[in-house]
Amino acid sequence: MGGATIVPAVETSFTVNGQTVHMALDPRESLLDVLRERLGLTGTKKGCDQGQCGACTVHLDGRRIVACLMPAVQANGRAVATIEGVASPDGVLHPLQEAFIEHDALQCGYCTPGQVMSGLACIAEGHVGSDAEIREYMSGNLCRCGAYAGIVAAVRQAGRSGI
Amino acid sequence: MTAAAARPRVDARAKVTGAARYGTDRTPEGLAYAAMAVATVGKGRVVEIDTAAAAAVAGVRLVLTRFEASELKPPVYIMAGGHAVQSLQPLLSDHIAYRGQPIALVVADTPVAATEAANRVCARYEAAPFALELDDEDAEKLRQPEALPVPALADIAVGDAEAVFAGSEVRVDEVYDHPKQAATPMELLGCVVEWRGDTVVVHEGTQNAGALRNGLALQLGIDPADVEVISPYLGGGFGQKNSLQPHLGPVALAARRLGRPVKFVMTRPQTFHQGSFRPASRHRVRLGADGNGRLTAAIYEVDQETSRHDLFPAMYTEAMSRLYGVPNFSGPTRLVRVDTQTPGYMRAPFESPASFAFESAVDELAYAVGRDPVALRLANDTGTDPITGQPFSSRHVAECLRRGAERFGWAARDPAPGSMRADDGSLIGWGVAIGAYPACVAPAIAHVRAGADGRVVVAVDGHEMGQGIRSAITFLVADDLGIAVDRVTVDIGDTRVAPQHLTAGSWGTASALPAVHAALRELRARLGVAETGMLDVGAAVAAAGQPTVEAEAATLGPGQPPEMLDRSRAGKVAFTGPVYPGFTSFSFVAHFVEVRIEATTRRVRVPRVVSVVDCGRVASAVTAASQVRGGVVWGLGAALREASEPERRYGGFFNATMEEYVISVNADIGEIEVDFIDEPDPLLNPVGVKGLGEVALVGVVPAVTNAVFHATGQRLRRVPITIADLL
Amino acid sequence: MRAFAYAAPATVAEAVDALVALGPGAKFLAGGTNLYDLMRLEVETPPAVVDIHRLAGFEAIDTAGATELIFGAGARMSDVADDPVVRAEYPALSESLRLAASQQLRNMATVGGNLLQRTRCGYFRGGSQYPCNKREPGSGCAARGGIDSGHAVLGVSDACIATYPGDWAVALLAFDATIDVAGPHGERSVAVAELHLEPGDTPQREHTLAADELILRIRVPVSRAGAGSTYLKIRPRESYAFALASAAAGLSLDPGGTVSDCRIALGGVATRPWRCTAAEQSLLGGRLTTDAARRAGEIAFADARPGRHNAFKIELGIRTVAEALRIAAERAAR
Repeated sequence: MGGATIVPAVETSFTVNGQTVHMALDPRESLLDVLRERLGLTGTKKGCDQGQCGACTVHLDGRRIVACLMPAVQANGRAVATIEGVASPDGVLHPLQEAFIEHDALQCGYCTPGQVMSGLACIAEGHVGSDAEIREYMSGNLCRCGAYAGIVAAVRQAGRSGI
Repeated sequence: MTAAAARPRVDARAKVTGAARYGTDRTPEGLAYAAMAVATVGKGRVVEIDTAAAAAVAGVRLVLTRFEASELKPPVYIMAGGHAVQSLQPLLSDHIAYRGQPIALVVADTPVAATEAANRVCARYEAAPFALELDDEDAEKLRQPEALPVPALADIAVGDAEAVFAGSEVRVDEVYDHPKQAATPMELLGCVVEWRGDTVVVHEGTQNAGALRNGLALQLGIDPADVEVISPYLGGGFGQKNSLQPHLGPVALAARRLGRPVKFVMTRPQTFHQGSFRPASRHRVRLGADGNGRLTAAIYEVDQETSRHDLFPAMYTEAMSRLYGVPNFSGPTRLVRVDTQTPGYMRAPFESPASFAFESAVDELAYAVGRDPVALRLANDTGTDPITGQPFSSRHVAECLRRGAERFGWAARDPAPGSMRADDGSLIGWGVAIGAYPACVAPAIAHVRAGADGRVVVAVDGHEMGQGIRSAITFLVADDLGIAVDRVTVDIGDTRVAPQHLTAGSWGTASALPAVHAALRELRARLGVAETGMLDVGAAVAAAGQPTVEAEAATLGPGQPPEMLDRSRAGKVAFTGPVYPGFTSFSFVAHFVEVRIEATTRRVRVPRVVSVVDCGRVASAVTAASQVRGGVVWGLGAALREASEPERRYGGFFNATMEEYVISVNADIGEIEVDFIDEPDPLLNPVGVKGLGEVALVGVVPAVTNAVFHATGQRLRRVPITIADLL
Repeated sequence: MRAFAYAAPATVAEAVDALVALGPGAKFLAGGTNLYDLMRLEVETPPAVVDIHRLAGFEAIDTAGATELIFGAGARMSDVADDPVVRAEYPALSESLRLAASQQLRNMATVGGNLLQRTRCGYFRGGSQYPCNKREPGSGCAARGGIDSGHAVLGVSDACIATYPGDWAVALLAFDATIDVAGPHGERSVAVAELHLEPGDTPQREHTLAADELILRIRVPVSRAGAGSTYLKIRPRESYAFALASAAAGLSLDPGGTVSDCRIALGGVATRPWRCTAAEQSLLGGRLTTDAARRAGEIAFADARPGRHNAFKIELGIRTVAEALRIAAERAAR
């Protein structure tokens, strides 16, 4: 039983939070599993593995995507950003992270990394013109604890401060 | 500055940075990955199972279809005095009790190999007829008092409800249906299991590390001391993670056999078929009242599903019999066996569906007698527990209603259905409902260690699932000793530091805080300092001449015998309440809801909710408000969106994905205004807290459905209410 | 998931060649949000995929032309949704994209791939545990007589009642869009109206493209009805959900308020993007009154065949058409 994988591995290189990684990937592997299981970046969460919850939201070349629905080989040559890279290396939080804390925009915390990554993108896209717009553009991130009001307040605050 | 900015949730930083480690965030060296193949018949027997193709998948290390009872004993159901979410342990026999039951466990070097191999397992079945719903022919109906003959589950009966109802001036007699619902915490069920010599280390998001430890030990025939369960964070539990899951034993055995740590993450569809869920229930409510709507009698009959292999006790009448001062009450309860995994405790498991039925009926009564629904509720308030005749330890329902009505602007309501319109033509409806939830308490053991460095480390029973228990404990210690929050460390959800009783039923904080409070008294005694007041911890410890000073305290609920502590240490459920010697304790809430229903396409929106809660003293202002908002979000989903749909021909749950099981998204949620009475309960414990997490949800569903009635004149007695109902 | 070979060519020509070279069953993989998802469910099991998500020039958007708007098939849904010209002058197109999925998925999914999005029917996606003629021709249809509240009422057959789930193709259909495709034998154009198939007896055949053809671009003729348009999507929640019923409506009004051009297409209720020509005709030359809008909706659903739980889609669909027409008329009158 067992043995080497029969699928030709695909040499892939990309950056994660600025660090270059090279690996031989089974093309079936999702970016989510590669981040979590191969790179130990477990801040990105698995909530459905079907693109239906947003818990695995990361940035690809600066845009938010769900990592569960992307074969990791597609990241070749691209830049991936995860929650682990949001605060500065010396531990200073991003203003959106601060805003999440200030508005208690979380409970169990499991969806939170995805919410933060989505919120950062929402601000960068300019989709923070009104609470209704924020709600709509944050609706790809489910929160079963129901922290939505705090999430909207946090994105609004960070978005208005122009970051 | 927000309240949260002033005193943030203590683990918020770990959560916003991704640093918080949940059960399956562990990736130890040499990790292997498990996946499960599941039964595709509604009931029956596995006749033949072919694992050759699965075993041939590259990277596969194990394919397990059957364990011997000598290596894996079946567990005992948690509500039958054991540790497990159900008594049925898959992979012990060829019997298939429900669709989705595991038939094989595959372990491989990578997640893709494990998943592919699980898909390659091929089984042939002998199918048997099955029942999935209350009305199905094969669904077996049992009177609960006969099926479960224990005093706590006797049908509640005071006075002569039948006779008084029959003679009442005004009568309401209606039937309400509540569907199956799925807890769907964002964190999937799963674990990472690692053997270190004879010790098995389990990382799993659980509300009950003690049950996992003791239950797994019994299943494997090992000493509980050789099981460590580590669960500092859960990605939501909502009752689904309240005990030993059927996957843990097989995964632990696979890890031992392979000599490697094994990670198992259930697929989302599998969680719908293996995790516990809220069973469907049917409620017939008969209310008798005088012409002013003063309640004279209530007969509240409930049928609730349970599984074929376990009896999930139904306790719908406990809280509803205390909502109002109804002198004559009876609550005949039946269980209905269907062919699913054992259903279980999903947030406000009985109280939320019960409130939908009971508070809808009360609204119907208000319209029947032509009285304002708030005024009618106030007129039926009571300070005495009508079932025991004891006083409530505290009860501020009337204040919740008055304050909520004021904040909501209820006085402007035109009571006539369909009378209020928005500028865009939408129908406006305003609804109200109250809720109650038993204030229970479990034994707890707290250990406090103060250091000469001024730091205090607390270890206590409790699991952090987002409700904020870690914050509440931290704030209690900081405030009691007058030290900074960052000087306090709280270790919970970890069997290595303290026994871990089930955290559920909203008793977590109300159980842990008194124990910590008592341990702090003991610590002060050992330090030889005053019983209260600011303390220079470092100086006091140094003065004692030791690097650290430790203290421990165990607390019980009022009237609980000390042997309950042993029960808790054995990983069993040991709570008490809500009836205590001399008093009865419940938390209470009032919800006010505005719905707007589009004139044409009939989409229902909920722009605002006002909720006022009586949970005793508020232990942590920030996390408490968040919990209430979360409860409201749950209620809106239950009222308007959520139902698990059984597939009657194939078995199992049809809409078993996050797409098809529709929970609320951000855009569904409007303003939710939360207020607290914040009056300490004088009797339940020295800290004055009652439970909060579940009462927050109780009453939201009927407040919505009552608002829909007010908007449309349509009285809908089945949730969720959908567009199809309103066209 | 079944193992598959992977190729990532750089140009369209290389992609077409690569697909042929990889043999029967090979598929193009663009954003992956649908195909990779179905591969994980083992509903799709291609032995090989050709990754086209970064082909040179594949993402270009040109909305400045005098006669047509041109969208490269590889353009992301979010980019087309936010294109200023599309937003201002073709709100139905923009809304059909913005109301689809989530921003994360719209950042991944391409406007070409989205046209061929496969049904969300749970019996189809549920895999081999359920019979499904679309997935396994001849095996039967579990949806008929089953939980069909999400299923189609228009264009259904005895073999299949699965709903076409997309929004974008519905809006494109209303505006007479055309696609250009490339294959081993060169390029050709296909009207979106000719792209999708009703299930009939062969529900496994969902469109008229050959397996080795690649969508290059989408062309939408410039139209006055664009500005007077909307895409109204009714869902079980406010966002991030497929349609219970949806309608793309576009109108041009004479200065006097008479309807001179009218486009109506439906989503969420039919087995393919559904154009309502008779309903459109009923409005031409008259004023868009509330009654006329309702009647157009009724005409659109005149041939509806409901199942056990989806009859509500008929009344909901009629109201959705009427409401979409009302919004479109408001915009057209500006």
